Amino acid sequence: MNKQEFLIRLRKGLQGLPQNDIEERLTFYNEMIDDRMEEGVTEEEAVSGIGTVDEIVSQIVAETSLSKLVKEKVRPKRALRVWEIVLLTLGSPIWLSLLLAVFAVIFAVYITVWSVIVALWAAELALAVGAFCGVLSSVILIVQVNVIAGIAMIGAGIACAGLSIFLFFGCKETTKGLLFLTKKMISGIKSIFIGRRMENE
Amino acid sequence: MDIQLKRGLLDVCILAAIKSEDSYGYKIIKDMKPYIEMSESTLYTILKRLESEDMLTVQTAEHCGRLRKYYHITDAGLRRIENFKDEWKEIMSIYRFITKEDK
Repeated sequence: MNKQEFLIRLRKGLQGLPQNDIEERLTFYNEMIDDRMEEGVTEEEAVSGIGTVDEIVSQIVAETSLSKLVKEKVRPKRALRVWEIVLLTLGSPIWLSLLLAVFAVIFAVYITVWSVIVALWAAELALAVGAFCGVLSSVILIVQVNVIAGIAMIGAGIACAGLSIFLFFGCKETTKGLLFLTKKMISGIKSIFIGRRMENE
Repeated sequence: MDIQLKRGLLDVCILAAIKSEDSYGYKIIKDMKPYIEMSESTLYTILKRLESEDMLTVQTAEHCGRLRKYYHITDAGLRRIENFKDEWKEIMSIYRFITKEDK
């Protein structure tokens, strides 16, 4: 790939960022490639040394906030005409509620994910407390009430302890998995706003 | 090296690379390469941040018939390096604490 091709692909991939951001980045990579070539490497080598367009784009997307991408997407490319403003205003009960619904759904997914995490850790905590209290109260039972009930209580306490140790690893893995999933979701939402996938890669 | 640790170091390394004289993107990467590696994209992001924090200024100058951006360190940038040196003394004492048992 030569420099021109690289820059064209990069420009396509960054479509969706503010225009001056794109220009500034392209200038930067242009200078980088020129400087590499000045050292005596060929144009192809200089370009491949920079990394692939996909890598660069995904790094930039990860660093750009979602609100910036959305803002750029909804920013009108030219001044709105009067009838467009009228339509937008009249239609606001429809599009505004739709927009709110979209955000409500995203928000709801978040709440759901976090509820699962909180619920799991609550169960884990309950088991741990149950184990501790079970063993503790069994001592009191043995001394003050009767031995059989005390032994049963020890059993219950130990069972709780076993379950809580078991569940702890489950909780840890699930939390990790869910956090990974939400991260994926955000980058998925971002990719709606930025760039166009290149077909002939 | 741990990513979090590296991230903290890169800012200061870039400032150090332009400390004695103004430098440009490719030269900064080349000068740092023996010590710490980073990609062009990372450099761009950090340069932008350092510029917005007034740690450096950018001038465009002509070089061999094309334009090149030169980065110039500010007083705030120099102070940032000095702060880092002070912080490093603390880190060294923590390091000695960590490796105390090894001797």
